[in-house]
Amino acid sequence: MNTGTDHIIKSYDSELTRLTGEIVRMGELSVIQLEAAIDVLERRDERAAQRVVGNDDAIDQLEQEIGHDVVRLLALRAPMAGDLRNVYAALRIASDIERIGDYAANVAKRSIPLSMVAPVAPVGGLRHLAELAADEVRDVLLAYNERDADAAYQVWKNDVVLDEAYTGYFRQLLTYMMEDPRNITPCTHLLFMAKNIERIGDHATNIAENVWFQVVGEPLNKQRSKGDFTSSPEMTKLGDKPE
Amino acid sequence: MTDSAIATNPAQAAAASAVAPKLTVRDLHFYYSGFHALKGISMDIPEKKVTAIIGPSGCGKSTLLRIFNRIYAIYPKLEAKGEIVLDGENILDPGYSMNRLRGKVGMVFQKPVPFPMTIFENVAYGIRHHEKLSKTDMTARVEQALRSAALWDEVKDKLKQNALGLSGGQQQRLCIARAIALKPEVLLLDEPTSALDPIATSRIEQLIEELKSQFTIVIVTHNMQQAARVSDLTAFMYMGELIEFDQTEKIFTKPGRKQTEDYITGRFG
Amino acid sequence: MSSPYLRRRITNALAMVMSTLATLVGLAFLAWILWETLRQGISALDLKLFTKITAYGESGGLANAMVGSLIINFIGIAIATPIGVLAGTWLAEYADRTRLGESIRFLNDILLSAPSIVMGLFVYTIIVLPTTVLTHGSTTFSGFAGGVALALIALPVIVRTTDEMLRLVPSTLREAALSLGVPQWKLTLQILIRAARSGIITGVLLALARISGETAPLLFTAFGNNYMAINPIEKMSSLPQIIYQYANDPGDAMHALAWAGAFVITMFVLLLSLASRLILSRTKVSHD
Repeated sequence: MNTGTDHIIKSYDSELTRLTGEIVRMGELSVIQLEAAIDVLERRDERAAQRVVGNDDAIDQLEQEIGHDVVRLLALRAPMAGDLRNVYAALRIASDIERIGDYAANVAKRSIPLSMVAPVAPVGGLRHLAELAADEVRDVLLAYNERDADAAYQVWKNDVVLDEAYTGYFRQLLTYMMEDPRNITPCTHLLFMAKNIERIGDHATNIAENVWFQVVGEPLNKQRSKGDFTSSPEMTKLGDKPE
Repeated sequence: MTDSAIATNPAQAAAASAVAPKLTVRDLHFYYSGFHALKGISMDIPEKKVTAIIGPSGCGKSTLLRIFNRIYAIYPKLEAKGEIVLDGENILDPGYSMNRLRGKVGMVFQKPVPFPMTIFENVAYGIRHHEKLSKTDMTARVEQALRSAALWDEVKDKLKQNALGLSGGQQQRLCIARAIALKPEVLLLDEPTSALDPIATSRIEQLIEELKSQFTIVIVTHNMQQAARVSDLTAFMYMGELIEFDQTEKIFTKPGRKQTEDYITGRFG
Repeated sequence: MSSPYLRRRITNALAMVMSTLATLVGLAFLAWILWETLRQGISALDLKLFTKITAYGESGGLANAMVGSLIINFIGIAIATPIGVLAGTWLAEYADRTRLGESIRFLNDILLSAPSIVMGLFVYTIIVLPTTVLTHGSTTFSGFAGGVALALIALPVIVRTTDEMLRLVPSTLREAALSLGVPQWKLTLQILIRAARSGIITGVLLALARISGETAPLLFTAFGNNYMAINPIEKMSSLPQIIYQYANDPGDAMHALAWAGAFVITMFVLLLSLASRLILSRTKVSHD
């Protein structure tokens, strides 16, 4: 927690600042990856998609560095109270971002088989989902950087928007698949991609919870409305579960 | 901060209500040669728990500890006002027998200070002052105290040797044995490991863990990690005031006050 | 090498040479004194020195003076030790940091440096004169009076060392004992004096070394005696006094006896110092 005063040991401060910087950088990378994945999907560019998949290594690399820094801080600085929560949250947030990166890479990977079949209409709907998810991640990273628990809470609460958008997109894809069985292959890919993006939102809420804990010192225990109804009975009547 | 602020601190109330208090401090003020060293301390120290008192040098933590057995009274010009209730009686009452108090409240100091006598005599000396025991009873009692202090196996063959021949860590455990031989109810530890190496320190910390089933322990320490390791409750003092008193886990993960946070995270300027 | 470093090295070397020289000069005089006493007294250093009394003059020895010295010193130390230790204890334990305690400590320091002949005259006035009057002249000067005079010299030394030694005992030792409920008197007698024991014994030995060489206070008190005297109410001879007397004698043989006596005292003092060193180093109480 930033209490407005610096540590007596100055290098401790710079190590904590460095840790925050690494998290923010890693988060930015994951957002860039997500946007790139959507780009290559729309451009049907197989080679670019391969590059996006390959770039995920950079995020994994950063996660390892953060893990190393956290262990080092725990061992050498024995952080307490706010500092302890800071370091603990960094470790957890890093693993969430790493998952976000994985999902972005997955989206890019699925764009490759998709580019080999004829284009289908609902591809455009995925961009909307991805933009919502990217905004969520960006907002939660801002909240993290500013140590703003309320902003983090807003992100956490707003995930419902992404969930609802996902449910809507899910219905749309089902309709396409029922319309024409030739759409089933590409739409299944899109379905998985949409699910991946929806999961990115869930990881953003995880990050929001960690920011909240880091700042407030208590777990975020509030009721949240769910927007993902794809596993509800009404939905299963329409078709199979998405995964 | 005012006295009422401490009393109404909900965290403190929660900490105190967990276990019945052994020592209750009420609005304690302490002065030496006109200097106001403790400014209205109020706290409940629970029974058979380890309570750590932390804070920067000169915050009054050692002073507070030294009032619990009134050892301060051996120096002139010192004055304590307020109440410290031990088992329903105010120990600051001039009528409270010093003998009784020192029998009930034992103390171990920063530096190991064995008496210039044999190991056996070091432990027996204090007992002899309070009780008349037969030779066999005394031997048994000394052995028991040395066992409780986890020192018996190391000294059983040299009980007749001078205690000054022991290592620093052994001397400190001897001092603990000497204090617990009187079967006190409260054990005060004034930075008991600050003169010891890490191994000896670990031994003492393990001992504290074992002793807390029998005694109410209050430990003053400069080492925050030590407070975190050994105590159930932690009090943070600053400039003669009790800033925060709560469960140790809470103090070290989510302190309620900024001053506490700044101190334990190493931000004190 | 740059100039500031060079200058420091030169200053350092200079200071070292000067202080070494000063030490050597001091040591040289000490060795010279020991050598002279031995050289000049060697002719008289024989068995008869220890067996014959001074009444035989040149052909006698110093037996009565040695016995006298032992008795007078013993009386002096026997009086001064209990008083000195108790007074020192009071200063350190009961009157520390009080106005009265500080005043008495200051007065004791003055007594420490008072000329010894003053002690002799004082005892002459308060003991020798009254006993002469009371016994109608049958008891005048006495070994006892000499002992009292020496006690007055030893006393401030013992007070001072006891005081210092007790104050060196760490206050935590006091607190540790008091926190066990032990009362102050038990603490003082059973713990503090024990902890400071070696220091106090050293103080007593140093006081003994100091008084065993005193001549002036004995002139008006023990007076001297050419015959063997064991009873302390008789006039008594002592080594320093005989040395003074024989050294003033024109005869060379007497001079040799005086040198031999001086050698015996020097050796005695040297042994006492060594003994006190030994005690202090062997039973050193460390609280660090």
